[in-house]
Amino acid sequence: MKNLPVFAARLAAQRPVPNVKNAILMSALLPLFAHAQAPTLSNPAVSVVLDGYYQSDDRVMTERAKGFGLGGTELALSASIDDMFYGKFTSVFEFHEGESEILVEEAFMQTMALPNGFTVRAGRFLSDIGYLNNQHLHTDAFTSRPSAYRAFLGGHYFDDGIRLSYIAPTDMYWLLGAEAFAGKNLRAADESAEREYSSTGVYTAFTKIGGDIGIESSWQFGLSYMRNENGQLTTLAEHEDEHHEDEHSAGHDEHGHGHAAAYTGKHTYIADFVYKWAPNGNYKYQHLTLSAEYFRVADFFTLAEHEHSDHDDHHGEEANYTQDYHQAWYVSGVYQFTPHWSAGLRYGKLASHVQHDDHFEPQTLKETELSIAWHNSHFSTVRFELSHQSNLGFEHANNENVITLQYVMTLGAHSAHQF
Amino acid sequence: MRINFKVIISSILLSLSHSAFAQMNIFACEPEYAALAKELAPEASIYSATTAMQDPHQVQARPSLIAKMRRADLVVCAGAELEIGWLPMLQMKAANANVRSTDKGLFFAADHVETLDQLDFVDRSMGDVHTQGNPHLHFSPTRMLTIAQALTNKLIQLEPQNSARYQQHFASFSERWQAASKQWQQRASQLQGMKVIAYHSSFRYLFDFAGIEQVADLEPKPGLAPTSSHLTKLLHRANEGDIDTIIVASYQDPRGAKWLADKADLPVLVLPFSVGGNKQSGDLFSLYDSVLTLLTQAHTAQQAS
Repeated sequence: MKNLPVFAARLAAQRPVPNVKNAILMSALLPLFAHAQAPTLSNPAVSVVLDGYYQSDDRVMTERAKGFGLGGTELALSASIDDMFYGKFTSVFEFHEGESEILVEEAFMQTMALPNGFTVRAGRFLSDIGYLNNQHLHTDAFTSRPSAYRAFLGGHYFDDGIRLSYIAPTDMYWLLGAEAFAGKNLRAADESAEREYSSTGVYTAFTKIGGDIGIESSWQFGLSYMRNENGQLTTLAEHEDEHHEDEHSAGHDEHGHGHAAAYTGKHTYIADFVYKWAPNGNYKYQHLTLSAEYFRVADFFTLAEHEHSDHDDHHGEEANYTQDYHQAWYVSGVYQFTPHWSAGLRYGKLASHVQHDDHFEPQTLKETELSIAWHNSHFSTVRFELSHQSNLGFEHANNENVITLQYVMTLGAHSAHQF
Repeated sequence: MRINFKVIISSILLSLSHSAFAQMNIFACEPEYAALAKELAPEASIYSATTAMQDPHQVQARPSLIAKMRRADLVVCAGAELEIGWLPMLQMKAANANVRSTDKGLFFAADHVETLDQLDFVDRSMGDVHTQGNPHLHFSPTRMLTIAQALTNKLIQLEPQNSARYQQHFASFSERWQAASKQWQQRASQLQGMKVIAYHSSFRYLFDFAGIEQVADLEPKPGLAPTSSHLTKLLHRANEGDIDTIIVASYQDPRGAKWLADKADLPVLVLPFSVGGNKQSGDLFSLYDSVLTLLTQAHTAQQAS
């Protein structure tokens, strides 16, 4: 039997700290609100998203804590810089246990005039992998992202890097893209405290196709791959780090708000599909959105070389009791039945592995969410959500039913939504 | 350095566009502009992003539209911020620099005419209104002629080698349009003084042209669906007895209108909002004909009763 040591799987999370520079920057930007009524070419679009909630209990790996709280309160500025470049800046104000933080979620420039359907985006931005990831949280139909996103991408994955995308001149929509990121939020734990991480840790490649079926239906299908150089846990450490026992699994970092992924691996594969329907293709009154995504995070740990050779004979036995991948999926349906009311139902399942002493133990998390939302206009939503969860192997999550009340309001520029 | 970069890019674009000129791809945001493009550039391949059964304010920036815009040489839209909820997203995703600027292959109809109801100040509490005025321009015959001239100029700018052809198409359209306009003016004069309750300011220009008075709106605020309290208010107004009919556009939900019509004993008239909005409206000419016929019928019926 191989002896895998316990390690403190703390995340190499980059905890955002309130930053004096940020505060100065923000206060310098605020006077721009005076011009927010009529964004013009010479005037950047300014928008604010207000998100407040009450939640009856804690949920596994979510950013919202029990009780009253504020979600991500967003301030965004965007404009064409000149005929070649577009720029966007999005800051998110977060509040956790009495502390305020300012995060820069987006600060990127994008080319607007490259020929032949090429676009380059650089800076900090949301990765285009999967379906939901490049969408802003405030456009979601549920209060939290599916467990797949919370577990593998820290809710939604934004990072510092560069993207090249290409849209083919085909009759059917066909997008190809590749990204490279620093990947600090997706680093596996540094159990030895001596690990040397690659500074460019994450590479992605994705493709999306899509089209219409008649006048009433539209669809999109995507495949994504993410390679994470720093995503594997190594099991080098031989000592037991007792005082870290209570947080010996990343998966137990339930109140983590650093946007770091709880589970990482070397290879992540994502398949996503979305289908939208509206009577006569008219989205004013009723419309339906069905979406589903599947995530597989493979090679989440690697054996130290010397151990590997020492215990080579037992390797087969090892493989018997643990799979070397995590996986998660969800299906979601949201129906807007009048301009004022919509309802959504989502089911998701996460199957992950957590390290206990000398072995990995499987965990599962099943969540069913029912969401009912009232929209007074495009700009205001009040949501009631009932979430039922059952889990195996997560320690601090005994509550089965959680009720969340939430409002999401947008002020300022009318931002165009993605499909 | 930057200048060199631009020179390189524009020379690449130029060489590409020459090969693409076999057939011009025109992307119209609304069916009325697809119909206008068909009059002025019948040789082009024309695609309309929406139908007359769809609310042009609320369109999904869906994959098929991105693909169409990627290949477009000219994008023709109403403008005045009508498409602000989806056009910028399409432009960003389609990565087609040729149709991003009105200096090149982007055309906003509202840029070329005076819009009605321009506002100096806009606040969201006023509903979904825009400072640039009402963008539903296509029921103004004079404005449409001005727009047709401007669109012809744009076509010539993009394809100077076909200038004579575009001039010819415009001359033909202009002649037919002016002749039809005279007839429409005559028919519209009989509708003068008609009072209606309508949904949104969708037919603002039609009512302006025909001298019809929209005494109330089914929407409590622009962009907001009718509420029961607002409908009750409208019922009081309708009971004053001077209203001819309740008008909704082909893409609008007639339920609120029907409720009001039942209570107030008024007819509901569904007018095609654009080309394709009913069987009769196959092009801009038949759209005007159909709308005026329906209005005249309603007006005559009301006067007879």
